[in-house]
Amino acid sequence: MSDDRIDPLNLTAQLNHTAAGNPPSTLPESAISNAYPGLEFDIRTIWRRLLVGIELHEADNYVVDAQPEHQGLIGRRLISVGDHDVIGPVVGPTRPGAGSAPLTSAGNPDGVMMLEWSNSLADVLADHVGRTVPCLFTADAAPNPVGKPAQLPDPRFQVVELEVRPLFARSAATGERLAVIAEDVAGPGELTSGLCSPWQNDYRECACYYWAASRPDYVNVEDTGAGTTTGNHWFAKDREPREYVLDNRDDSRLVSYDDLFRDWQGELRFIVGGDDAPEHLEADPEGR
Amino acid sequence: MTARDLFEASAPVHPDVHLLDTDAGPRVLLADGSRLFGVGRALYDRIDAARRDPDPEVLDAVLADLGLDAPRRIDDLAPDPPPVRALSLAVAQKCNLGCTYCYAQQGDFGGPAKNMPERTAFTAVDALFRDAAPGERVNLAFLGGEPLINRPVVRAATDHAVTVSRRTGIPVTFSITTNGTLLTPEDGEFFEAHGFAVTVSLDGVGARHDLLRPHRDGRGSYQRVMDRVAPLLAMQRRMQVSARVTVTPLNLDLPRTLEEFTAAGFHGVGFSPMLSSPTGHGEMALPDLEVMLEQMTACGEEFVRRVLAGRRYPFTNLVTALREIHRGTHRPYPCGAGAGYLGVSADGELSACHRFVGDADGAMGDLATDPDDAKRARWLTDRHVHRQEPCSGCWARYLCGGGCHHEVIRRGRPACAYIRGWLHHCLSVYSRLLAARPDYFAA
Ligand code: SF4
Ligand code: SF4
Repeated sequence: MSDDRIDPLNLTAQLNHTAAGNPPSTLPESAISNAYPGLEFDIRTIWRRLLVGIELHEADNYVVDAQPEHQGLIGRRLISVGDHDVIGPVVGPTRPGAGSAPLTSAGNPDGVMMLEWSNSLADVLADHVGRTVPCLFTADAAPNPVGKPAQLPDPRFQVVELEVRPLFARSAATGERLAVIAEDVAGPGELTSGLCSPWQNDYRECACYYWAASRPDYVNVEDTGAGTTTGNHWFAKDREPREYVLDNRDDSRLVSYDDLFRDWQGELRFIVGGDDAPEHLEADPEGR
Repeated sequence: MTARDLFEASAPVHPDVHLLDTDAGPRVLLADGSRLFGVGRALYDRIDAARRDPDPEVLDAVLADLGLDAPRRIDDLAPDPPPVRALSLAVAQKCNLGCTYCYAQQGDFGGPAKNMPERTAFTAVDALFRDAAPGERVNLAFLGGEPLINRPVVRAATDHAVTVSRRTGIPVTFSITTNGTLLTPEDGEFFEAHGFAVTVSLDGVGARHDLLRPHRDGRGSYQRVMDRVAPLLAMQRRMQVSARVTVTPLNLDLPRTLEEFTAAGFHGVGFSPMLSSPTGHGEMALPDLEVMLEQMTACGEEFVRRVLAGRRYPFTNLVTALREIHRGTHRPYPCGAGAGYLGVSADGELSACHRFVGDADGAMGDLATDPDDAKRARWLTDRHVHRQEPCSGCWARYLCGGGCHHEVIRRGRPACAYIRGWLHHCLSVYSRLLAARPDYFAA
């Protein structure tokens, strides 16, 4: 071992060690309880190549690419793997107070939806890793969702045997399973290519309802003494007048997407203890 | 390494890191998360210098530089009392042996001898299942005194637990700790049918055992126990029959004991030093612990020889330590006592564990009124290893957990050098085996 190398040996050491080539953000402690697609890495990506020979869309049961021997599968939809369906019927009320009914539409006549891969393929991995498993595909390209036929065989569907790839790498030295995602599951950059981009996009995009809600909202708050408060929306371009402008992407008093794309680092202010950080105040002689 | 060398190599230097020079190369253990790393010599020296630096920030800086400065996994806060998932029933607070060092004072815990009524046992079983959620499992243990003095209640409570388990879908596992003198082949069949973990207290081979575990009239018990255990050893499939050896200054012949019990067919053989007895009889002092550590490492070397040859050697202390080290087990308590595990006395009183029966120090309410969560919360707060001294400065605190509460409350912590020396040895064995037989850990 070279002198500066550090080699995690037991499982906790492996889990908490930044694997070669991975960014620090892949450690569990950097997680902010969100993985869809998340800030740390996009966990959906690791399922795309679970079946050897084809590549799935990370958020659809749709074959986007394939090795030469499976070229014919491109553009088709995966319906089930072994005993596990990867789609499910969508049901719900179509108007307030109505009972649940299949939610079909012109673009989705069977009323089905792809199940999130982490849920639908976890058991496939557990049950079949390293072995081939019968996979049911649509027989033709299917741009729109397709439901599972009531009976098989059905000429509109085709079964193809595919192998289930291990998700985790093995140690080259010991052959042991590592707590490291295997390289052939996700190539360099793929785990992070679909991440949120909070500063440019998601602080705006996600309003108050998603992870980016852990951004500042009502800042510079002062008690008026009359049981009310004044203050600013974090997105307010000007801090005067002190009023909370309701979030609206078209309201020119608030920073817009364009503003953020151009100069998020100039527009977004650090908030310390609920107020604009002094550096912003000092750096801005006009005192906005 | 001799025991003396192990004492020295494992002496506490810094609470957050421990360094080991193993046959497989230099190793760094980070106490937090029980994370073990292989490092090069230069890095080892750098960390060694940093951990000895009077400025605590020096080590922090080195760890940060290496990317090892993760947030702490164990903080000072005690967890809320978890649901109780394991109970041990003191079905008989009496015993037919007169072991000199017994924590239960020959079975009755210093009070009147008594049996647990069937009703109490059933109430305990019902309580155990009451809040268990689907997917969880529960464990029911029978202890005493000698539990087989009250065999009908052992059987009835087991059958009742099986019935409740079937009804609720919550799996149940069973265990019993016995002195072995009353075992019958029918007991064996019953335990086999229910997959019991059977622990037989055996303190050595032949005369050594007899010295420590005599009948009340002074007769030895060894031959009788071995005769009675033999059919169980022959029939164990689901059941696992293990030997538990309490080590006193009088039975420090561990390799031979291990060898003999392994040959007899025990599924596991475990040793624990006698650290606190009501009379002071048999307690181990530091020189005894040094001998014991020497013997334990000799057992460990034999274990390594066999595992390298692809064989099994049921040296429970090392098997368990290796499993925990591999997983990186880290905990602020030595055991589940007072948390997920409680003891039930013959009268239905709850205590932190089977050793605290009838003891105000570990009282946790009673079956009639459910576990006393305020007492459990106080226990978990008080017993947290961060609150124990000298544990808060000890690198081994999350592997050791601070030592058996009962022994610590009664006697203190006389065995830390032994505990750390043993863990140091286990970490070295782990490093060697991981390099030579990774398959051992893959299973
Ligand atoms: S009891 Fe355990 S954790 Fe506490 S000082 Fe002793 S060896 Fe360390
Ligand atoms: S307190 Fe001691 S005797 Fe009781 S369960 Fe814990 S380790 Fe065992």
